[in-house]
Amino acid sequence: MDQPLSRPSPLNQRAIWGLVAFGAIALSLYQAGLFQRDWLNLGGLSQLGRFFQASVQPDLSPEFLRLTLNAIVVTLAYAVCGTCLSLLFGLVGGVLVSEVWWQSVFPRQAKQRSIWLTIRAGLAIPRAIHELIWGLFLINIFGLDPLVAIVAIAIPYGAIVAKVFSEILDETPRQPLMALLSSGVAPLTAFTYSLLPQAFLDLLSYSFYRFECSIRSAAVLGIIGAGGLGYQILLSLQSLRYEQLWTLFYALFVLNGTVDLTSAVLRHRLGSPSRLDLNLRRDNRSKSQKLEELRDGYSTSSDGQESHPTQNAADQVSMLKQQRQPRDRGVMVAGLGAVLLIPFCFWYVSADFSKLWSPRTMQLLADITQSSLPPNFDGEQLPQLLALSWQTLAMSILAIAAAGIGGILLSFPAAHNFFLPGGLLNPTQSSRLGCLLAWGMLLLTRSVLLIARAVPAPIWALVALFVLFPGILPGAIALGLHNLGILGRLMAEVAENLDQRPLLALKAQGTPASLVFLYGVLPTTMTRFLAYILYRWEVCMRETVIVGLVGAGGLGRLLTEQLSSFDYSSVIVTLSSFVVLTFIVDWVSGRMRRSLR
Amino acid sequence: MNSDPIFELRRVTQQFGHFLALDDINLQIYPGERVALVGSSGAGKSTLLRLLNGTLLPNRGEVWALGKNLSRLSSRQLRRVQRQIGTIYQQFQLVDSLRVIHNVNAGHLGRWSFWRAALSLVYPLEVKTAAAALHRVGIPEKLYARTDQLSGGQQQRVAIARVLVQDPPVVLADEPVSSLDPALSQEVMSLLRTLVQESGKTLVTSLHSVELARNHCDRIIGLRNGRILFDAPPASVSAEMIDALYRLKE
Repeated sequence: MDQPLSRPSPLNQRAIWGLVAFGAIALSLYQAGLFQRDWLNLGGLSQLGRFFQASVQPDLSPEFLRLTLNAIVVTLAYAVCGTCLSLLFGLVGGVLVSEVWWQSVFPRQAKQRSIWLTIRAGLAIPRAIHELIWGLFLINIFGLDPLVAIVAIAIPYGAIVAKVFSEILDETPRQPLMALLSSGVAPLTAFTYSLLPQAFLDLLSYSFYRFECSIRSAAVLGIIGAGGLGYQILLSLQSLRYEQLWTLFYALFVLNGTVDLTSAVLRHRLGSPSRLDLNLRRDNRSKSQKLEELRDGYSTSSDGQESHPTQNAADQVSMLKQQRQPRDRGVMVAGLGAVLLIPFCFWYVSADFSKLWSPRTMQLLADITQSSLPPNFDGEQLPQLLALSWQTLAMSILAIAAAGIGGILLSFPAAHNFFLPGGLLNPTQSSRLGCLLAWGMLLLTRSVLLIARAVPAPIWALVALFVLFPGILPGAIALGLHNLGILGRLMAEVAENLDQRPLLALKAQGTPASLVFLYGVLPTTMTRFLAYILYRWEVCMRETVIVGLVGAGGLGRLLTEQLSSFDYSSVIVTLSSFVVLTFIVDWVSGRMRRSLR
Repeated sequence: MNSDPIFELRRVTQQFGHFLALDDINLQIYPGERVALVGSSGAGKSTLLRLLNGTLLPNRGEVWALGKNLSRLSSRQLRRVQRQIGTIYQQFQLVDSLRVIHNVNAGHLGRWSFWRAALSLVYPLEVKTAAAALHRVGIPEKLYARTDQLSGGQQQRVAIARVLVQDPPVVLADEPVSSLDPALSQEVMSLLRTLVQESGKTLVTSLHSVELARNHCDRIIGLRNGRILFDAPPASVSAEMIDALYRLKE
């Protein structure tokens, strides 16, 4: 036998990034003051007890229920209107900033490339700034108008949607488009007949996901006075009426749960099982892979290889058949619902859209621009800005670390293909008790995740402040809880869409469940879990401002203070450092995700 | 030769919904045999193999493997039987994102304790055994490569190396070469056959090509519509019998 191969060095790129991550988490813990000072405020325990006690006796008086219902509709309407506008903007913007558009319209001009790159980079700024900052800024212009909430959602979401849509379009196979273009079809027509229908499912699926997010954003925006559930929650919390608070919480759970569930069912019906596909090259994305499997199942029976439709495969094939049918009743109803819901929402919020271009708005904008220039910056602020930036960063790192670990732990019991009877890790032949237990655990974890993500982060922060002293720790806990809810569900979805064949192969050779998990499930899911965590870290970084609002520290707190005192020349400095920080985080996250591939 | 069969099917019927995959099958397979299952798609070959390795339990009838009735076993006992059966699949049955060494070491998982297996993911254990197995299948240099970076033929070799490490008395193979080109198919089949012959293992493989079955096996079972059409050594399988096997409609 030849020389044995030497072991590869354990210090590969991944391991280095892993060490960096651990170092960053340790430093952030240090920054949070976990080791130096008193952070636990035991005096608040009784308050916290009262808070939780109220959960079993929510205020169900008719007048309060009416108020709650009204708040639900307002929040929903903000989300619907905001999503609509952002999708409109995102679709136009997405086509305009997609590489394929520029290449097909200006095939030979290298100069256009710089224009394209500039537009693309320009979108990064509205994206870097959180809805809440937009909201605080717009309130100064529009006053307390529903328009604030809608536009505050539409601007950053529009930029995000444009980016994601352009990426989806760029990843879609181009041959059909090229065929049309080379036969002389005008670019826009060619797009509508090739790329857009090809990418339609992905675009739609992402739109659903955006809508889920904007429900949460609409609730947060309520907190700055835009009305709706967030606003009512803040009022009840500040006046310590916990019974009312819980009524509103339950309303929030129902609203979020309904929207998430509807979106999941619709995406499933449309054959697009996953919300976001991160870190997967186009050719092995779960959806296309799944469809291929199904097609294999179809074709093998006719082209000679043996296959019989097993129970499961038969289900899948019939599902595929359903998809192939042009009209699915559920999808039709949903479509009709959307057609009715959208005009209703615009009517209900009755935002004064004319304010968008009224002379007064223009005047105010000009004034603000004038007062923000020149930026109020001198060298003395630098240490303070750096310290606050580091606090912000530490808060986001702690939050995402907690959310990530929690999400991974909860995702498996929340996925339906692991512990339920017939599941991958179900060790025993199903007894009735075990079955009941497994279902109970599934529902419990899913509810925990729903509650965690439905309650806006600033509200979690206020709850955390019952027992913690102000600082970045309550902020990190609040963001961590909120993101845990989102991550856990995204991860459960990954686990449910897992390729099961390697796992069944391990099972077939008599491997116990714990080792199937270790050698099969973990390696296949972990890279995608980490990709989601890193992606959410970018979002988390932007969200630090919303817990800053309630005093959790960092740049967010400074920013909200400056905004509410109309100190625009300082706002622009703080905002710039925040944007730079966001870009740095995005870059690091991007590098780490690439090393995972 | 040992007279106890290593596998025995007694009046086995397997149905998926309305689809009758296997219809009242009786079959005995003895230690050291190399059995090929041939027949067109839907004939029941894959179902038969899944019954043999216990990943599927029959609707009716009994499947006995290594002296145990598989339907009567607890999941722990079933796993103990399954450890003595290695299975190779058409494709996709390796964990892509792991290094080759871990996929090969997965052959130990029936024996290893949890902690030993966990440690090995961080610091690969039994590297010598794995390297020897990879050497046997002809890709020693891939020990530390990522599995998804290997070609189809190389991945199939990794799967065979895993079975070598598992070292079971019985090897099942479900269309082991149908995703490979003809030259590579011959090579992989010869490899599989040599490995089985050397250590006196039993091989049951479904094959798409009757030619491969004739060259590498000493018993050919023809399946059609869930029934056994013939069961004979290669020499006595005639062209007519093969025709009857693949004819579209009587």
